[in-house]
Amino acid sequence: MAINRRQFIKRSAGAVSVSVLMPKLWMGGVAHGQEIAADPNRKIFVVIQLGGGWDGLNTVVPYTDSRYKALRPTIGFTDSELKDETGASTILGNQPFGLNPAMGELKSLYDAGKVGIVLGVGYPSQNLSHFFATDIWQTANPTGSGTGWLGRYADQKLIGKSGLSAVSIGGGGLPKAFYANNIVVPSISPAGGADPFVNYTFQTDGRFAGDRNNQVNTFRTNSTRDFPTGSFAEALADAGFGAEQGATQLRAAVQTYTPGATYPSANQPSATAVNFGVALKMVAQIVTTIPDANILYVQLGGFDHHSQEIGTAADQFRDKTKGALATLLKAFSLGVKTFYDDMAAHGLADNVVMLGWSEFGRRPNENASIGTDHGTVEPLIVIGNPVKGGIYGEQSSLSDLDNAGNMKFKVDFRSVYGTVLDKWLGADSQSILGAKYETLGFLA
Amino acid sequence: MASLNYDEGAHLLRRAGFGGTPSEIEDLSARGREGAVDYLINFSQIDNSAMESLLASNFDFSTQQKINNGEIRRWWYTRMVNTRRQFEEKLTLFWHNHFATSSSKVQDIFMFNQNNLLRQRGLNRFDDLVLRVSQDAAMLIWLDNITNVLGRPNENFGRELQELFTMGIRDVVTGEENYTEHDVQEVARAFTGWNYRRQQPFPFQLNAAQHDNGTKSIFQGTPWATTGNLSGEDVITILCARPATARYITWKLFNFFVYPVTDSAADKSTIDKFAKVYQNNNHSIKELIRAIFVSDEFFSERAFFSLVKQPTELVVGAIRMLGGSYNQGTGDRGSNTLSQLARNMGQDLFAPPDVAGWDFNLGWVNTASMLERFNFANSYLSNRNTTNPGIFVTNDQLLSITKGSAKKTVKRYLSRLGPLSVGPALKTLRDYLETGDNGQPVTYVNDTATVDKKIRGLVHQIMCLPEFQLN
Repeated sequence: MAINRRQFIKRSAGAVSVSVLMPKLWMGGVAHGQEIAADPNRKIFVVIQLGGGWDGLNTVVPYTDSRYKALRPTIGFTDSELKDETGASTILGNQPFGLNPAMGELKSLYDAGKVGIVLGVGYPSQNLSHFFATDIWQTANPTGSGTGWLGRYADQKLIGKSGLSAVSIGGGGLPKAFYANNIVVPSISPAGGADPFVNYTFQTDGRFAGDRNNQVNTFRTNSTRDFPTGSFAEALADAGFGAEQGATQLRAAVQTYTPGATYPSANQPSATAVNFGVALKMVAQIVTTIPDANILYVQLGGFDHHSQEIGTAADQFRDKTKGALATLLKAFSLGVKTFYDDMAAHGLADNVVMLGWSEFGRRPNENASIGTDHGTVEPLIVIGNPVKGGIYGEQSSLSDLDNAGNMKFKVDFRSVYGTVLDKWLGADSQSILGAKYETLGFLA
Repeated sequence: MASLNYDEGAHLLRRAGFGGTPSEIEDLSARGREGAVDYLINFSQIDNSAMESLLASNFDFSTQQKINNGEIRRWWYTRMVNTRRQFEEKLTLFWHNHFATSSSKVQDIFMFNQNNLLRQRGLNRFDDLVLRVSQDAAMLIWLDNITNVLGRPNENFGRELQELFTMGIRDVVTGEENYTEHDVQEVARAFTGWNYRRQQPFPFQLNAAQHDNGTKSIFQGTPWATTGNLSGEDVITILCARPATARYITWKLFNFFVYPVTDSAADKSTIDKFAKVYQNNNHSIKELIRAIFVSDEFFSERAFFSLVKQPTELVVGAIRMLGGSYNQGTGDRGSNTLSQLARNMGQDLFAPPDVAGWDFNLGWVNTASMLERFNFANSYLSNRNTTNPGIFVTNDQLLSITKGSAKKTVKRYLSRLGPLSVGPALKTLRDYLETGDNGQPVTYVNDTATVDKKIRGLVHQIMCLPEFQLN
């Protein structure tokens, strides 16, 4: 429903008792106990935050550029090294770019025409602080302050929809992208074990099951009191109330999901890949059972490779197909492909667009620690059947760097956001981003 | 000397520590405002032998292998729950967040050593604290300074030292940018060759051959412009003397201990006022904190319950305020330990999300973390196992707080857990006590059977209130 507690109070004041009315509002428009039917008009957008600042130049490798080779004598890939673990080339057709060898699955999606790569993405006067830069991307605002870009979309488009129409999967805080004025976006932290949603329920004393209704009703009444507008108490009440309501609804809905693909398990190929797969599987559970599910958010962190970006101790950090970056890119590639297959098995492949982004790229010149320091420009990756596969934007020159040795951007990241808002989500990008940015061609 | 009433004493103990029982609060209030603050911050004078013997008999850190991930967390939570020097642990938590270092990259023994360093030196001159933390193995590893070498500087530490540990990106008061990208690169050069010896106790060592002895030029075009063969020590001295650092540290202390600071002119003036205490007292953290704690700002209406409790404050406070029990066990392998509960709520001690530390206040608030808070309260109150490791409260303990009537009992618990002022929730909670399984009214009886069912439920409900989430 995405109604907030304040709106609820206004609507229900003087009408019916809280505990009677609330679940109906929350259940509004939601299927009960079965997977939902196909709807060609469904638009699902999955955001993948690649935290830490990913190394774009070793992700989408400009293997023909002699400057790349000069700047990366140790960690750079040659064309003959751009082969995945099966030996298949990861070079993108006749393009002067190849994917990191860890990304064989993404390469197969690219070959099928379902991956758009936007090169040269950045913005004017890029900030190289993880935190400030992340805020800028999340808010789509050069000051990094205010509501999030997806929160503003939700405020416009998701009022009156299910409270699970926008969901963040992951521990820690709600991503700032979802900060909104009128909507509380749920955030669900995965539990270990067979049911990742198991912690997502309001628990009461098991010894006295007969008292549970009293407990739940007391909680709901106390959480729907009036608090000063904008106060922490109000935010706590909103989030707490939404948590109990959303959990009740979600737990019932996701029971009906059956996976249509095999997600990584048992630490293979890595614990990171398993955890990322769990998050994407939770997204699958939600989008297959909640018809309003629209904006889903997952995170894959750890890209801050100042040192030992490649290799392991066994190879003295020289094997470019192993190590820190390869592990993360494999998790990303495998997770995305598995989720894509799952969506296809549920007849949803035409309804899903995924976007991978990071707060910045890394410096072209490798450092002395077999790593790279904070950079600017990065490639963005867009995936899905609705995507027109290919290369977009323009590779930034490695000969024309700024004073810090970083690349100059060619495409404003808000162009990517704007294209998704206008072409996929049916929104008005100008009102959400504050200006109209160039529309890119990766969506019809 | 200003007096200190009960609510003010409770406020001071919740902020400078984790909260306490009525007798602890009354003891503090009887000392008056300055007396109470001096008592708390001169914590080395407080007898802590009971906790020390508890630690000695339940922890074994005799070998490096035993200083592991689970044990250092169990150890810190055991300290926080049992210490009589509450401010010592709270201050350590402040510095852990400030110099946020994580076991995701740093070995547990170094995390443990850093934690002890923060505890022992947390009230030193700021210059001294920054230098010691910077030369400690945990930070040298965490921000890659061990690979920051002549000719190939690694900027990680040089950047965060300025952005997060001393000045901040912009001056908190004037809004001016404090440094440039060029300064990041030059400062990084000053710290080249900083490393640690790979043997116990892993002391700092300067690898002279890897140190850049060339001329560094920082802060050009500002009053702090300096050029010369600057060492890391020189840079720290320069940074700690800048007014921007005094303001940034004051701002961080205010946000952590007093109230969320806004961009208003009044708040900037307040920060500047207290920053001068730092500047006028030779960068003494102790004098700065003392000035903040005895201030009218700290005891202003605006400050009371103006912060969202950190998960650590929530779980430790729930035990200390209610007088519950924490069986720390002999190993951190169970499923009900405090560190795991707080981690589920978003605060994994020894593993902050990144070098900026935790995102406070609204950063703690989302539907997942709220459910974890509610379910923590339920598991605490519904746990009747007093022998296994975990947290619990006994019926006898709860019975010592109850009163003869439902209304007085609710009021007693609200006072105990704050004191909290909850408006109409008082009536709702009273109704809960007087409602049976089928929704029918029942008469409240002050006995063990009622305590085991309804008082446990009542305390769970109070701990689910928005007011209880505030500090």
